[in-house]
Amino acid sequence: MFLPPLPSRPVSEAPPILVRGGRVIDPLRGFDAVGDVLLRGERVERISATPLPTTGLRVIDADGCLVCPGLIDPHVHLREPGGERKETIRTGSEAAIAGGFSMVACMPNTQPALDLPSLVDFVRLKAAEAGLARVRVVAAATVGREGERLAPMGAMARAGAVAFSDDGDGIASAMVMRRVLATCRSIDRPFLQHCQEATLTHEAVMNEGPLAAKLGLGGWPAVAEEIMFERDVRLNASIGCRYHAQHLSSAGSVEILRRAKAAGQPVSGEASPHHLLLTDAACDGWNTIAKVNPPLRTGADAEALRKAVVDGTIEVLATDHAPHTASEKGRDFSAAPFGCIGLESAVGMYGLALVKSGLMDWTSVIERMTVGPARLLGLLEAGFGRLFEGGPADVSVIDPDAAWKVEASNFRSRSRNSPFDGWTAHGRPVAVITQGRAFDLRTEWWRGAGAP
Amino acid sequence: MCAVKRDFLQIEGLSKSDLTALLERAEANLPIAEGRAPRKELLAGRVIANLFLEDSTRTRCSFETAVHRLGGQVFNLTSAGSSASKGEGLIDTALNVEAMGVAAIVIRTSISGGPAMVAKRVRIPVINAGDGRHEHPTQGLLDMVTLRESLGSLEGRRIAIVGDIANSRVAHSALQGLTTMGSEVLLVGPPTLLSAHQIVHDGTGHVSITHDLDAIIDEIDAIMLLRIQSERGAGSGIASDYRTLFGLTPERASRLKPHAVVLHPGPVNRGIEIDDSVADEHGGVRILRQVTHGVAARMAVLEALLAH
Repeated sequence: MFLPPLPSRPVSEAPPILVRGGRVIDPLRGFDAVGDVLLRGERVERISATPLPTTGLRVIDADGCLVCPGLIDPHVHLREPGGERKETIRTGSEAAIAGGFSMVACMPNTQPALDLPSLVDFVRLKAAEAGLARVRVVAAATVGREGERLAPMGAMARAGAVAFSDDGDGIASAMVMRRVLATCRSIDRPFLQHCQEATLTHEAVMNEGPLAAKLGLGGWPAVAEEIMFERDVRLNASIGCRYHAQHLSSAGSVEILRRAKAAGQPVSGEASPHHLLLTDAACDGWNTIAKVNPPLRTGADAEALRKAVVDGTIEVLATDHAPHTASEKGRDFSAAPFGCIGLESAVGMYGLALVKSGLMDWTSVIERMTVGPARLLGLLEAGFGRLFEGGPADVSVIDPDAAWKVEASNFRSRSRNSPFDGWTAHGRPVAVITQGRAFDLRTEWWRGAGAP
Repeated sequence: MCAVKRDFLQIEGLSKSDLTALLERAEANLPIAEGRAPRKELLAGRVIANLFLEDSTRTRCSFETAVHRLGGQVFNLTSAGSSASKGEGLIDTALNVEAMGVAAIVIRTSISGGPAMVAKRVRIPVINAGDGRHEHPTQGLLDMVTLRESLGSLEGRRIAIVGDIANSRVAHSALQGLTTMGSEVLLVGPPTLLSAHQIVHDGTGHVSITHDLDAIIDEIDAIMLLRIQSERGAGSGIASDYRTLFGLTPERASRLKPHAVVLHPGPVNRGIEIDDSVADEHGGVRILRQVTHGVAARMAVLEALLAH
């Protein structure tokens, strides 16, 4: 494989960055004060309650905005290698920046699957070459994501994989699952499960219920998610791996998570914007944009998920950004692929679901977009998900009250399959600083010709 | 006022007066459908495309006959299993057929929502001749024509639909139509082929579910038997005692009310849904009458969409 040399960016020569006059929030230590944040190179140099001199600095105006640790999306699909018509590591990490994220973790269901150390290297090198959001790799737990033989997980961990998952499929065999959990435990990596008992989801394309019956589509019952989650909790009880249930969709799953956490198990769960805001009604008229996996369910399920985010049962917000081309989504409902994109609407949609609704404050939402994902991926100790002097210079700036219209046609993502196109979002990312670069999303160069 | 293209995609959403108009039009077409009156010339010089991307003989021939009885011409494109049977191929095929200047497209497909998808892309009327597990609206019409002929009215009549409700587009269209017309519908079948979801989406409150055919067999005015759709993967939900529990055996047939009628969309799995002796000898069986009504009903739909 030929890879061009990494671009040499003399970070130290770039001017230091001053994020001026925002409300600085570090959820982990409960820090919340108006002030300036000075970033030099890849480190936070100062957080100051009094204004700092601006001479010689690149100034990002954060007046009226929240200045928080760089947002982390621990569940995205960048599609490269193999799915470059949908997204690439470059376009996906650019979409991440546009959505206010300084870091994403990409899933291994590419073609080929990310199941070798060299493929982990490939993603890291491509991401470094793009130089936009940081990209961390979630590698496949089994060879080819086939759920049979263990992939070289230890070697991939050494190559930089932060977690393991066969996302897109659950690991069906209980024996394989047990081996995976034990291996993850031994190499100190979390396992991220896509909970789906496949024998219950044959030809299943949307939530099992009256609408599926009316549309003549195969129903995907919530219990198919719940029994795999329940099984894994039992399997893991004697292993104690950090286990994470991805994209929870049902009230029943929330109950399983709540019980496992109460029992002291190292279990976490995540929620996606579409599961918090939409129900299976969005599928009416065979609307393939609303075809996601696991499927959109009932209003009661969405409410249970929102409550679980509010009370902290769900500590991680993740978009499950899943790009697909217009022609793929133009197939009939059963043949169209599962998934919707989420990076560039995420902040505004979480704001709509959780803040505008009066359920939470922004600090708690940001905690679940920073501390939660960083803890999940084992990056908290390295300072990610936090904002403190001496920590990594990953900062997101959010205008918490901005009402703005989501326009998928303006997205940086290569795909347009957003169920929120045309919605009015609440809260907007206005700047991201990561890897020594500042992206002011309000400026013309960013909205225009592309990132320099 | 701009002309709005009209399609015939589903029974759901049609009002009682819409349905009544179609049923009356179908009934008026009966003498032509039976060959007793001369054909109409409504479709003279026009071509109708039959896109049958899933196996069907009865429905395809019925549409062909209906077009001929209206003075039009028809061509058939049948390609089950080809690329056209998938979503993208279906639209491509429909666009090509439209470009040949046909007046309307009749579509049979295994894709639920396939005809609706095509209707959004073409400028000519689309008629759903059965799509996946969604609806088979012209079958729904012909069933209602048959029931009205035998029972006089649909209002207040108790109709049992028996069999693979979950996978049956025939059942879905009949359920929508009959409840709109004021009938009381009993859905009967094994729990593996019938779920509460079927009632919930009806919303009229005139639908109930039972798994015990014997408990209701003597209370109904009509029994609509469904074909067991093993080709749709429902086979695994069907136990070997289907006939014992849900088949129309001579014993059950003898308990039907004297005026009660028996319908089946065909083709019949004899010895499963209905026993030979009942199918051949019971006075209430209307299966071939349904076939005749199918031509009249499809003529009515073509007229409603193309009478301009």
